Amino acid sequence: MSEARIEVDGLRKRFGQTLALDGLSFTVAPGTVTGFVGPNGAGKSTTMRVILGLDSIEEGTALIGGRPYARLTHPMRHVGSLLDASALQPSRSGRNHLLWIAHSQRLPVSRVDEVAELVGLGKAARRKAGGYSLGMRQRLGIAAAMLGDPPILIMDEPFNGMDPEGIIWMRGFLRGLAAEGRAVLVSSHLLGELPDVADHVVVIGRGRVLADATIEELTAGASSLEDAYLRLTSGAVEYRSGTDGEQRR
Amino acid sequence: MSDALRAEWTKLRTIAGTWWLMVGAVAVTVAASAGIAASTHVSPGGSGGASGAGQDPTKLSLIGVDLGQAVVAVLAVLAVTEEYGAGMIRVTLAAIPRRGVMLGAKAVNIAGLALVTGAPAVAGCLIAGRLLLPEAGLGPAHGYALLSIAHGPTLRAAFGSVLYLGLIALLSLGIGTVFRDPAVSAGIVLGLLYLPPLLAQLLSGPWRRHIQQIAPMTAGLAIQATRNIRSLPISPWAGLGVLAAWAAGMLLVGLAVLKARDA
Repeated sequence: MSEARIEVDGLRKRFGQTLALDGLSFTVAPGTVTGFVGPNGAGKSTTMRVILGLDSIEEGTALIGGRPYARLTHPMRHVGSLLDASALQPSRSGRNHLLWIAHSQRLPVSRVDEVAELVGLGKAARRKAGGYSLGMRQRLGIAAAMLGDPPILIMDEPFNGMDPEGIIWMRGFLRGLAAEGRAVLVSSHLLGELPDVADHVVVIGRGRVLADATIEELTAGASSLEDAYLRLTSGAVEYRSGTDGEQRR
Repeated sequence: MSDALRAEWTKLRTIAGTWWLMVGAVAVTVAASAGIAASTHVSPGGSGGASGAGQDPTKLSLIGVDLGQAVVAVLAVLAVTEEYGAGMIRVTLAAIPRRGVMLGAKAVNIAGLALVTGAPAVAGCLIAGRLLLPEAGLGPAHGYALLSIAHGPTLRAAFGSVLYLGLIALLSLGIGTVFRDPAVSAGIVLGLLYLPPLLAQLLSGPWRRHIQQIAPMTAGLAIQATRNIRSLPISPWAGLGVLAAWAAGMLLVGLAVLKARDA
């Protein structure tokens, strides 16, 4: 899987007056889970949308195995993505949601049932997706991301809304993907989940990379990953509650 | 393109709303035509009611299209705007990143569904007209032939009405792509269709004629006329061409906006 690499280089993007991405660069290597963290509004979701060709950029490149996403034929065979688990039509069944995506990537219908099985959707696959809990929607979204058996996966907050059992399942699942040689980029605000899952962490704030290191490197000299994170991002938060208010500027 | 076509078709067919709106469009169209035909009374003498001279039974029997088009428009608007409600458009564009291909696939599917809806709707209108119009004073006893698609202009009016609904669907899809919100888009489509004819009624002379020549509904429905064609503001096929230009124009604006905007 030599093409299983995301290369983001010098991304710059503005929303009106705000500089959302300010020269962002990092790489997601094959066989690793890369955690993507930062305060709200730091640009995590925007970066993911840029990588997937959904949002435009003013400068920089975001490449999938050397090519922009929008140039890929059957892109979901190269990159599986889950940006927002609730992004579905509520009156369509989970299985039919997977079916139209399978058709768009010219994948056999048998693949739909395989991935529904893989994420443990079970009989719920035949029910309307509008009735799913957030945890179930996350599973459906991961099934969609896995349809094309892609070497690269991009997931925005996949732990959101999952019950403890789901979180444990998700951890093992993500580690398994990396063990198979895939490149996995996972954003999360649940820092406690990261040491168990990620090999590598990219911390961003105000559209810039604040740290790009292994978990061990980050936590060296700090009492915990949380502690290291708070120190890194102290200058880059829009708002922090309580006594830390003075640190805002 | 074929993968995108198939994916968009799977999307449309796997929500019940699509089928209900298609059935609704046929029902509304035929019921409106039948209702108007049943309540029409043409007296040859010309006292009270419509005058028998110069009536166009074909056009009268197809009047349900005026109403049924609204349901077709809603179907087409929803095909794109529903994706923006919950952000599913991002899943769609992650699957089909070429935005022109995505919109083209939607356009082919939705126009196809409109034609498939239009054919039985128009056939139902003609059958209702054939059965009911003789009672209304527009039958052989009053110098009017029974409605039949063996009659060239009637066949053109019927075929053209089906095409008209296909073009209305494309126009609506284009507007939905530009405005993204279902209610706003549907309001704009319905306003664009129904307001110019009302406005034309308030005006007189050349202004009225010009509005009828360029407005999508009045121009497009010229395809239904089978009598006194010389006196129409615009000829049948030219009128349908005006509507086609509207549909193409709105789709192109939709495509430009879709390409320029972040998803």
